Amino acid sequence: MKTKVKATFLFCFFLLLSCLYANSQQEESTTLSSNSDAKIKVTPEQKEKYHLKPVHAQLYFDCIFCHEGQGNNPENFEAPDEEVCLACHKSKLYLAKRLEFMDTLKANPHNSVHDGPNLYCDECHREHEPSVNMCSECHLKEIKNNIWMKATP
Amino acid sequence: MANVSRRNFFKIGAVGAGMIALGSTAANADTKKVKYDEEYDVVIIGSGFAALSAAITSAEKGNKVVIVEKMGRIGGNSVINGGLLAVVHSPKQKAEGVQDSVELYMKDSMKAGRNINHPELLKVIATRSNDALNLVQKCGAKFYDKLSHLGGHSVPRTYLSANGSGSGIVIPMFNYLKKMPNVTIKRRTKFEEFILDDTGSVVGILAKEKYRFDSKLKDDDRENKTGKEKYYKAKKGVVMASGGFSRDIFYRKQQDPRISDDADSTNQPGATAGALLKAFEVGAVPVHVSWIQFGPWACPDEKGFGAASNFNINATFRYGISVNAKTGKRYMNELADRRTRATAMFKLVNDNKNYPINICDQTAVDNIIPELAEKALKAGVVKKYNTIEDLAAAYGIPLKELKETIKQYNNYVKAGKDPDFGKPVDKADGVQIAKAPFYGTKGVPKLHHTMGGLKINTKAQVISTKTKEPIPGLYAAGEITGGTHGASRLGSCSIPDCLVFGMIAGENI
Repeated sequence: MKTKVKATFLFCFFLLLSCLYANSQQEESTTLSSNSDAKIKVTPEQKEKYHLKPVHAQLYFDCIFCHEGQGNNPENFEAPDEEVCLACHKSKLYLAKRLEFMDTLKANPHNSVHDGPNLYCDECHREHEPSVNMCSECHLKEIKNNIWMKATP
Repeated sequence: MANVSRRNFFKIGAVGAGMIALGSTAANADTKKVKYDEEYDVVIIGSGFAALSAAITSAEKGNKVVIVEKMGRIGGNSVINGGLLAVVHSPKQKAEGVQDSVELYMKDSMKAGRNINHPELLKVIATRSNDALNLVQKCGAKFYDKLSHLGGHSVPRTYLSANGSGSGIVIPMFNYLKKMPNVTIKRRTKFEEFILDDTGSVVGILAKEKYRFDSKLKDDDRENKTGKEKYYKAKKGVVMASGGFSRDIFYRKQQDPRISDDADSTNQPGATAGALLKAFEVGAVPVHVSWIQFGPWACPDEKGFGAASNFNINATFRYGISVNAKTGKRYMNELADRRTRATAMFKLVNDNKNYPINICDQTAVDNIIPELAEKALKAGVVKKYNTIEDLAAAYGIPLKELKETIKQYNNYVKAGKDPDFGKPVDKADGVQIAKAPFYGTKGVPKLHHTMGGLKINTKAQVISTKTKEPIPGLYAAGEITGGTHGASRLGSCSIPDCLVFGMIAGENI
């Protein structure tokens, strides 16, 4: 009997949680679709929170440059697909060719021994936070000893 | 509870708790209420060797296939391993005049596996390893000219991928699949739940798209809330090919409490137990889950598999020796199975981090792919010394004893017999430790392979604890399965395991 009560309580609790979850999803999608054409106003606080990499900041990119059609609330923005990056940066094979000087021991991250040109840009390159070097998961030594690439831009 | 609608059941699941309490309702819930976002014949979880080979064989039969990979990267551990594939009765064995047999392969594996292997699975791998080799060669995989002879194998039978990594097999397979119109590959998409019908058959999955794995979380499977729910119908079956759990700190410790939280592993960060546990929830038989393997060829001076591992596998262990730095003496058969070697090494390492030193000479290095040595040297994990004196001084090994050990070992090579540890020195191509420069590297075993997992039959069907029969619609292949390798897997036997059973899963769906 006791377990049944407990189970019912748990069930109601999860049902409630699931409704909340479902509602929050709903709201999010409404905001996105109804306001997708609106102008984005970026406050100084938001600019501080979502600061750009220097190279992109110098080009005066606004949010919509990458987050096109994602509404006007930066809090709801999603990471853009890599096509957005490649609209300017062409292709990973192009980048690999251009950055061939990094290709010591076939470590060129844009066309590496392990992944070829198949890695998503944002496995390593981050726009609003410090970038990481995914290769360091296994090849920390090579990177520390400066055999490979420098810090990821 | 039986009235819980399918939709709510999975909504609850997505919120992230209570699944085990609710698990028993899975088979009774009304699957008709699940609104599928997408429909496929075959849904494959994971994107490594097992997943890709299952995708190829099932898609070539005309099935509409989707591959679901939670990481941003394709291939899991398969793109970062040493690319070693054991094949019985291979063309290279024929060319090199090596006498091999299915029985000998099984005998070698059973010996390493302490005879708790499931022989019917081993037999399938040995018998069909050539078919797996043909499959990957058809996709364009290239291999090094010479066979490798790995620890625990009676004869050389190992193909080494031409680029020295499993990626030399994965990338051609991935490219092959990309050209097939009936195959969809979804990355950053995480398998969440099975969808079962009234009879308990697996008929689909709940997944989360745009999932971002977060290695900073202690338990990604539980804590990560990213991604959007999607239901995929699997008209003919679901293949679990999501690999092992060497990076699952909680779960591996439950299986072997000796494994410390900070113990290093050669695996990619996504190797967690989430998918395995979901399969247990729907009744899959757990096999050998607590048998966890350490790779004895790793190096404490770098993270993960790194650059030293392949150097040791190909050069120092086959053509050289491993010595106790304190005594200058050998302490194991450098070509024993992994369990034997890891145990012997841990005895030293646990003695105040007295890391053993693996040693070989220039002739050994001339016998391996030049890149392997170059990489390891440039990374600074393998070091080159002009004399044995220099090498001994660098690692603090007593010189007189080391010289004596080397002299003795060279005599063993000449005689073709190692009376101390039984290393098959007759297979060392007569390579002694004699020609300068000499190479040294520190050794440590790292968490490498989880032997246990789901019980499958020879058709790659997952067996149910309840019925002792296959769970309809559920297949598995690769490291997520258990039993094949018993207590310890021989090197280069995982890739054929993954490829063969992936292939078989695809053939049987």
